[in-house]
Amino acid sequence: MTTAALPYRVTPARVLRSEWHKLRTLRSTWINLAVTSLLTAAMGAGLGAAYDGSGEGGMDPVMFALLGTQFATINLGVLGILATAGEYSTGQIRATMTAVPRRLPVLWSKAAVLTAIALPLTLATNLVTFPLAQSFLDGTDLSAALGDPGVLRALAGNAAGLTLLAVLALAIGALLRSVPTAIGAHIGLIMILPEILAMLPYDAVDNAVRYFPGKALEVLTTAQPMPGAATPGSALLALLLWTGTTLAVAAWVLRRRDV
Amino acid sequence: MLTAHELTKRYGDRTAVTDLSFTVRPGTVTGFLGPNGAGKSTTMRMLLGLDAPTRGHATVGGRSYAAHPAPLTEVGALLEARSVHPGRTAYHHLRVLALTHGIPRSRVDHVLGLTGLTDVAHRRVKGFSLGMGQRLGIAAALLGDPAVLLLDEPVNGLDPEGVLWIRNLLKSLAAEGRTVFVSSHLMSEMALTADHLVIIGRGRLLADTTVTDFVRASGAGTTHVVTPEATTLARLLTAPGVDITTDTPGTLLIRGTDAEHIGRTAAAHGIPLYELTPGAASLEAAFMDLTRDALEYPATLEGTAA
Repeated sequence: MTTAALPYRVTPARVLRSEWHKLRTLRSTWINLAVTSLLTAAMGAGLGAAYDGSGEGGMDPVMFALLGTQFATINLGVLGILATAGEYSTGQIRATMTAVPRRLPVLWSKAAVLTAIALPLTLATNLVTFPLAQSFLDGTDLSAALGDPGVLRALAGNAAGLTLLAVLALAIGALLRSVPTAIGAHIGLIMILPEILAMLPYDAVDNAVRYFPGKALEVLTTAQPMPGAATPGSALLALLLWTGTTLAVAAWVLRRRDV
Repeated sequence: MLTAHELTKRYGDRTAVTDLSFTVRPGTVTGFLGPNGAGKSTTMRMLLGLDAPTRGHATVGGRSYAAHPAPLTEVGALLEARSVHPGRTAYHHLRVLALTHGIPRSRVDHVLGLTGLTDVAHRRVKGFSLGMGQRLGIAAALLGDPAVLLLDEPVNGLDPEGVLWIRNLLKSLAAEGRTVFVSSHLMSEMALTADHLVIIGRGRLLADTTVTDFVRASGAGTTHVVTPEATTLARLLTAPGVDITTDTPGTLLIRGTDAEHIGRTAAAHGIPLYELTPGAASLEAAFMDLTRDALEYPATLEGTAA
């Protein structure tokens, strides 16, 4: 046997495996994912059972069944923030960046791993939650089937939106490096900022707010497009831009700042 | 081989390290000494590429740490601050690091055994004592079987058994031909472990020397003298650069001159000596002298200017 050079070296695929192992070996990950899924399904079933058919009408059946995804937005956001900002609070980041001193593969891998876990989970949850809620809604004005126009697209669109918001949170966590600050910024951006901006009396602001992350998620979650709202395609594009841009800024900062 | 070239690090208007240059060679233990806040940890972070130097650069085996395709096989590092997620088990922490390099499971098990952590490998790090945490840090440093070991205050918080373990480990790693660079603020610890010293104070290089040369050059040797005519002898020996103190009556501790001179002076004046013991120079005393000078220097300058 010849003495070959050591096969050890850092490759993108290996960093990906490492990040997957990192996420998988924390109890908090599984608790977070289980709570996200169960809360969404329980909210869907609960709201369906409580609905007495006397709604004002105009409520979207998919939006109604998936009201629980409000929790998912926060829960999956926290999961993303823990993956990045969490490493700074525990000190793990020093071990991580010593093993992968080029740094960027770590960020890409974290985003990829989170996507790979959040997308199938939210999609599966939505596909279970919608029929579950519908089992109580037969005969009401919210009655709809999976095959109805826009329903599957909205269920998938919501899953894609939630996943992109989770990656957005991950990028915010990488930028701010503090778990509580990042959670505050994430919730502020998704839930509070659009409401405040919408109160301003300018049309241009109103138009822009339709493409804010939280609003884009709402658009993606409706089977019947709301009048005056963005189209699902442009909402998805807006969310991709929000997440992509934030991730790019996070990468730029990660390269330059001291760990 | 580890090299710092004119490293300078500024945080805002505070300068942590100034024009620091040194080389750490394989096969010996090199102690990196300085009082707390001297810039040791900052220097170590720059060597690992965690902090970017404001000026200058650091290399490991001829290139920057980040340029190596398998950095964990070049340098194994134990940083002073804990670098572990408390919710993960020791085994999985090491696996996470190993996976980035394609280091096999068997190597993880091996370093766990080497550091005596096999029994607690599947416990979460949260419950680890300081000593166990330190052992896990060493296990992580050894994971890639690195040519260079860089350890920041490894004996901090360890019990005597742990201190002895680290001391022997460092010596055996150096004996295998590795480069061992270990920081400490305790000169006494380095006296027992290191062969070579890099000493800094206020972010500047104060000395880059061997332990033996450092002690010899420092003139920190104290001669212990017992005589019934202590006062007379002390008066006869008084000269510039000679420092005479006494702790019990009839006992003199003399620095700045040697036993031969003291013996001849006593004989010439018929003073009986009961004891004349040249003490081995204390490394701690030499270190204090050196760092005290580094701290006093700016004050003296101000005094001159006034």
